Amino acid sequence: MTPLLELQDLGVTYRTADGDLEAVRGVDLTLQPGETLGVAGESGSGKSTVAASVLRLLPKSATVTGTVLLDGQDVGAMRWGTLRAARWSEASVVFQGAMHALNPVRRVGKQIAEPIRLHTDAGESEIDARVRELLGQVDLPAAKARAYPHELSGGQKQRVMIAMALACDPRLVIADEPTTALDVIVQAQVLDLLGTLVEQRGIGLVFITHDLSVLASTCSRIAVMYQGRIVESGDAKEVITAPRHEHTAALAAAFPEVGDPGSRYAPATAEPLPEEGERDPQQPVLLSARDLRVHFRDRTGATVAAVNGVDLDVRRDEIVALVGQSGSGKTTLARTLLGLQRPTSGAVYYDGGPVPVSTSGLRDYRRRVQLVLQDPSSALNPRHTVYESVAEGPRIHRLGGDERDRVVRALEAAELRPAEQYLTRLPHELSGGQRQRVVIAGALALDPNVLVADEPVASLDASVRGEILGLLLRLRRQLGLAGLVITHDLGLAWNVADRVAVMYRGELVEVGAVEQVLLEPRHDYTGALLAALPSAGRDDARHEC
Amino acid sequence: MTTSPTEQHATDPDERRDGTSATRYVAGKVGGALVSLVFVVALGFFLFRMIPGDPLVTMTRERPTDPEQLAHLRERLGLDRPVWQQFLDYVAGLLQGDFGTSYMYRRPVGDMIAERVWPTVLLVGTATVLAVLLGLWLGVRAAWRRGGTFDRTQTGIALALWSMPQFWLGLLLLIATQGVFPSRGMTSVDPPDGFAAQALDVAWHLTLPCLTLLLVIYAQYMLVMRSSLLEEMGADYLRTARAKGLRDDLVRRRHAVPNALLPTMTLIFLQFGMVVSGTVTVEAVFSWPGLGLLTYESLRGPDLPVLQGVFVILAGSVIVMNLLADLLYRVVDPRVRAS
Repeated sequence: MTPLLELQDLGVTYRTADGDLEAVRGVDLTLQPGETLGVAGESGSGKSTVAASVLRLLPKSATVTGTVLLDGQDVGAMRWGTLRAARWSEASVVFQGAMHALNPVRRVGKQIAEPIRLHTDAGESEIDARVRELLGQVDLPAAKARAYPHELSGGQKQRVMIAMALACDPRLVIADEPTTALDVIVQAQVLDLLGTLVEQRGIGLVFITHDLSVLASTCSRIAVMYQGRIVESGDAKEVITAPRHEHTAALAAAFPEVGDPGSRYAPATAEPLPEEGERDPQQPVLLSARDLRVHFRDRTGATVAAVNGVDLDVRRDEIVALVGQSGSGKTTLARTLLGLQRPTSGAVYYDGGPVPVSTSGLRDYRRRVQLVLQDPSSALNPRHTVYESVAEGPRIHRLGGDERDRVVRALEAAELRPAEQYLTRLPHELSGGQRQRVVIAGALALDPNVLVADEPVASLDASVRGEILGLLLRLRRQLGLAGLVITHDLGLAWNVADRVAVMYRGELVEVGAVEQVLLEPRHDYTGALLAALPSAGRDDARHEC
Repeated sequence: MTTSPTEQHATDPDERRDGTSATRYVAGKVGGALVSLVFVVALGFFLFRMIPGDPLVTMTRERPTDPEQLAHLRERLGLDRPVWQQFLDYVAGLLQGDFGTSYMYRRPVGDMIAERVWPTVLLVGTATVLAVLLGLWLGVRAAWRRGGTFDRTQTGIALALWSMPQFWLGLLLLIATQGVFPSRGMTSVDPPDGFAAQALDVAWHLTLPCLTLLLVIYAQYMLVMRSSLLEEMGADYLRTARAKGLRDDLVRRRHAVPNALLPTMTLIFLQFGMVVSGTVTVEAVFSWPGLGLLTYESLRGPDLPVLQGVFVILAGSVIVMNLLADLLYRVVDPRVRAS
């Protein structure tokens, strides 16, 4: 049988200003109809380049060597007309980030209909019916065809992308990070949908992601890419449970299984963690919220309770994970705790007293309670050196002492060593993980007592993720910092948090110790979150050990 | 499969609510425009009081006038009263549609503006429409092949023309065309009979002033369109469109250009103000009988009522254009409707 997709010794080189960059080297892959192949790797591993090369969508600066056979036909040798005809009707792509992959000013129905109109000679009524049918297949009401992308939620947009990919009944679908940036519950729905489609239609699916646990539940075979090469490939379960390459092991460890005692308080980090000492559970409460409510008016004038009566304590020497889906009010709660948003009622207390409302009082409070944002690339001014970025806070707060000394100490605390080596660097000269460390150093330079981190590792690569989480744990143990980590990632909570607060529609539905909440959830919503986690299939392996 | 809690929030927008938010949006924009208009009226009044020169001196230059007559004239024009009183009178007149009376021509300013406004509308309108079309077309082509020969030469030419003073370019064109086109006025001294012939006559006279204005202003549309399209070129949805098998020019026409046009549109309307103010020099060079020439002539007085009137009309048209842009933007960009 002719394989649906066959890559033979594929190599892609990008011409850049700094010389040639070999993004993909000697990649061989085969996919049979009805099969799902997972391609895993970090950003920069070349996995998206492989995806783009299948339909020859690479930029002009790319040189391709080797062959891509799509259903036995050499894609590289196709003429433009043949290639255009093959695009979408033979193979289609579910692109990464549905937010940007859809045209913002066209109705989604039109965008779904576009390839049908292009590749078939169906009439208007046929096309309409087909669009309705496709929307039905991805569980969207037909009326959504008239919606613009911004009127849909992230999960709905992703479904539109999938509907669009299926528009011309392709035999091959390439899904490039189709669930990244989606909530666990929505992610589970999208994965479920893709699985069903493969089963029912016998299409071939190439599933590209950085999250091995997602692949485990969807793919039969997995190929792991690292620096442009496939370093390991084989049966999905085997690759995950018994990785042969160290990079696979790092990827697998980065996404811990909730309930695995081996990863409790143990993010995948190269630096050793200090001993978990005897902890006094009665540490003083540093930051607390009492019956906190924040109401917004939406554009129709109706009141929306983003935070609806929240009581929360964060103690010294403790990390609390605030988990919940997007839209649950996590970020509003964090902003209110930081004094960036005025509560409608209720109060925030810091160190026993209410948070001041005066400008100077609030400034002093904000020095004590520091924020670390999700995306270090946008949190840092691209034109400021590391030194400038870290020194900015102390300057604003007019902290005395030697500025350089303070900056160096903060960088050392954030484990950028030797600090002197980083002082004059600009953000673009640093890796993602280093950038996040600089952001953390900027917070530490103010000697805070509380760190509030909003999805601190969501935009980082798997291998860096563990390192940053390890840093947070070490900071808590060494400096006795209190931490509030906002995340949708339950594995993160399992990795570093002492207690978990589960937020759902503005309310904390469950608060308690990590082991208790995540292993014996009492609220239905917590149960739903846990059930939606892709199971890596490591349970069996663990029991065998 | 069940819908998640978050997805239920993103239900279809309620039509009725949409209606009220649209009214609120329009009311807000119109209110803002009215406030600007009030400022323009006040600014126009006080600004022209600061021009050096006494209108009475100019008016009586050729005739010997005794102080008594001068005082009488001053009283008749209302110039003897305090400035704030004059302002109140002026505003009261404006509210009744009365722009005052010209010092020099002793005619109602409203009538004079009404006579002169259409030639300007013709000149500015034609030049703007042509410049927008030319600019957008060149901008799209330049951006699509960024850094290519077309991009580099066209951007260079546009910038050179943009930086040229209008009167200078006008004079150069006059010299270069060697009298092929008429150099002054809007019609021949002896206009031909028949509507078609008259229209042709006006078009003949329009050529040079229109070309001057067009050459100077098209660069701004081209450069804005170019950079706006360049910003869209890396967008992911274009890759989606290519992956669907669309031809390159369809990707450009159907997906890239409509998105790039959105920011461009606002700027087109904003820059309308600069085009209008630019007519003063062009009309002066070609003696085009429009508001610009009227302004130029009135400055010598200074004929304050005429200057104020023209100022209010020109500034008002810019405000109205911006209001139109805001309203149009809401129709064109679905995202603005949502926020």
